[in-house]
Amino acid sequence: MSLNFYRRVAFGLSPNEKPDKDPLNWAINQLDIIPDLLWPGTIPTEKDLRKKYGEWVYGDREVLRKKFKNDKHAYRKAKDELRIKTGERYFELNEHAIRHFQTKYSKQPVFERFWLFWGNHFAISEKDFLAEFSTGPYQREIIRPNMVKTFEEMVQSVTTSWCMIHHLDNSESFGPNSKKGMEWGETINENHARELLELHTVSPNAGYTQEDVIQLAYIMTGWAHKWDRKNLETGDIWFDQEMHQKGDKIVLGVKYKNDAKRELAKVIHDLATHPICIKFVSTKLCRHFITDEPTDEMINPVIEAWNKSNGNLIEIHKAVITQAYKYNEITHKFHPPEIWLMQLSRMFDLNIPLSFEKMNYTFKSKPNNRQRQLSWILREIGHSPYRAKQPNGWSDLEVDWVSPELLLRRFWFSSVELPILVKSGNRSHNFILDCLKNNFEDHENMASLIENFRFGTSNYDLGQKYGVICNLPGVLKI
Amino acid sequence: MNCTRRNFLIGGSTTLFLSGYFPKISFASMQKKNLIIISLRGGMDGLTAVPVIGDKRLKKLRKKLILEDVLNLNSDFGLHPKLEIFHKLWQKNQAAFVHATNIPYTGRSHFDGQNLMETGAHIPYKEKTGWLGRGLLASNIIGKGLAISLPMPLLLRGVPQNNNFFPSPDFVETKLIDQIYNEFKGEHNELIKSTLDTIRQRPLSMQIATDSDDRKKLALEAAKQLKDQSGPRVAVFDLDGFDTHAAQGGVDGAHADELEEVNKIVTILHENLGQAFDNTLILTLTEFGRTIKQNGGYGTEHGYGSAILMAGGLLKKSQVYTDWPGLKKKELFEGRDLNSTIDSRAVYNSAMSICFNQDPEFLRKEVFWGDELPDLSQELFKI
Repeated sequence: MSLNFYRRVAFGLSPNEKPDKDPLNWAINQLDIIPDLLWPGTIPTEKDLRKKYGEWVYGDREVLRKKFKNDKHAYRKAKDELRIKTGERYFELNEHAIRHFQTKYSKQPVFERFWLFWGNHFAISEKDFLAEFSTGPYQREIIRPNMVKTFEEMVQSVTTSWCMIHHLDNSESFGPNSKKGMEWGETINENHARELLELHTVSPNAGYTQEDVIQLAYIMTGWAHKWDRKNLETGDIWFDQEMHQKGDKIVLGVKYKNDAKRELAKVIHDLATHPICIKFVSTKLCRHFITDEPTDEMINPVIEAWNKSNGNLIEIHKAVITQAYKYNEITHKFHPPEIWLMQLSRMFDLNIPLSFEKMNYTFKSKPNNRQRQLSWILREIGHSPYRAKQPNGWSDLEVDWVSPELLLRRFWFSSVELPILVKSGNRSHNFILDCLKNNFEDHENMASLIENFRFGTSNYDLGQKYGVICNLPGVLKI
Repeated sequence: MNCTRRNFLIGGSTTLFLSGYFPKISFASMQKKNLIIISLRGGMDGLTAVPVIGDKRLKKLRKKLILEDVLNLNSDFGLHPKLEIFHKLWQKNQAAFVHATNIPYTGRSHFDGQNLMETGAHIPYKEKTGWLGRGLLASNIIGKGLAISLPMPLLLRGVPQNNNFFPSPDFVETKLIDQIYNEFKGEHNELIKSTLDTIRQRPLSMQIATDSDDRKKLALEAAKQLKDQSGPRVAVFDLDGFDTHAAQGGVDGAHADELEEVNKIVTILHENLGQAFDNTLILTLTEFGRTIKQNGGYGTEHGYGSAILMAGGLLKKSQVYTDWPGLKKKELFEGRDLNSTIDSRAVYNSAMSICFNQDPEFLRKEVFWGDELPDLSQELFKI
């Protein structure tokens, strides 16, 4: 088995890891339990950060805008101070650190790859202040704990999470015949219902109609944040009977009797166990780990494992890895920028993320450049994980990640920025050679390309070496 | 609202259709013509950008979203105040709008819709190339596409050697690019290899480092390149954020902010293209319009018909070109959306035929699988 399997299903091998005698078992054994989060710094809870979110929007919208309504400049200044005080400028940086620390040091890197996959399947795109306060904790508290449960359970958690409900506007969806809908003349917002069908479960392949979307939106009415004057939109999620559309609903030909909050769990059960959903999600998993256009032959064993285990994600993950192993030598997969960065960080033991002591933040001034570094790099290489442009998340296709500028960004990072991230003990030529040997069959050929710079340890020299090796065909693509 | 259904299709394009199309070879057609596309992702609300004037029903259904004040176009239509460059150009016959138009897609999904707006096809995700890429290829215009975005938009795919401009904060040495290039020999790497080819052939002005957050700088560079006779002939800008399910607003608000971005880009292009603006056509794409009725969050839902914003010297005249379907309940698509009476792809096809000096019939077959798309060149553009 080629060493590239460790990058196909994980992040490559760090300098103190050695290839396993049985790589398939090595990978499969990582999927049964949820590894602890390793970040030694602060790991705030979703609830804490939502409170901060509330302080930020309340402070800005209700306090500052009124206080400074005639003085634009004073308003701006006060708003900037509030950003600092509430951590609006900081928390996303900390979330990136938690995430990258995990993919770098986790003893179950294969599990972490699935974590990234699910976070992107149930993506939170760039909207309001979700990236700043909410998407990170959502990944940790909603996605992660469900990875050893069933797919259906994961859909249930995601659909009723504050983050997704805010993201897809379900709090603004009123049953037109509900008490509040009638009183206020309000109606549904279809956004969340549509994406639950299209992106999260059955996909358009299921052939649902506009009426199905409307009916599902009716079922979902009432699942909203609890509004109050101080917390605004950041209150807990509850089921508001007074927003809920009365009457029976029919989605994809199945009738759901008027049953208030219990309707949602029933329809999610049917969607999450729908054969078209199973095929759609299995295909996405294979696309992520095997190749852009996986064949039925590749996908079918995953579907079988799904059916056999009633959607148990542990079993599904194992089937995906088994397929990835089986097809490792004959398929190719191009990795998006963030995974590439995580792999470089693990293989070459880069200083990513910054140490937790240096990530400590006092909420008194703007985060410094070092604290912003990782997030800045992610943005510059085109892949800021919690800021996908649309609710379908980041693409898993090579064509979406190859353009002159996207490639140049990688060349720029590896030749200009990466040398700054090389630890002082790792600047020798031999260190690079060892890392290459640990991760690539053709390490000798790779070494020959950087031979000219073997005596150099300056940032410039390291840039010459890393610039080449990080962008070779077998590194960009396995 | 005085306008009724207009029978323009009978008089204009059909006859041209039958008589065939013979491009005039003149000095004007030797000049390089530029086609600039601005993709408005999320579903641009045509009724906010180019509102109908005095429609009581619209006022009733959109209480919180009505514009208090619009720029005047004609007796039937106004213009959103944030689109002032279009208003300025309108006075000079250099701005026009196509209204109640969309691609033939009624599914209301952003992702399917954007895919189809770029591929020009009927089934989402089936085609892997964009109509603009295929149009360039069919017209044998290779290596003349420029995207102002980090990824290569689907719209431009299908023709090799497209470029994009979205520079990194620091330089990349040519030597490094060459060295990497030399290693890309094997199979499975064609896309990366051809992209590296493009990188190696970039003009000097693109080999810079800058702050790509600054849309102004990007638009400036695009204008500079488009002005160059040997430079790109097609540029694609990408804007998102039109999906205003909440707080859509009127004169100000979420939709207005996005229109302001469009206005900025067009303003810079107009100012910096100079004479070349006369040989330029700018047009917008979007995946669908938005519902007539406001929703629970003072926003709108995904709809159907929208509008195309156009600017440039290649326009025939200032006009709102439409076959207005009306806004009465029974006139709406599925009782909720502005209908589409003009297949937007007919506008795209005609625009390409003008900018690429190509027979629209030929393009229609090569690019749009011979779909029934009337030639609108005579009505919309200078021939």
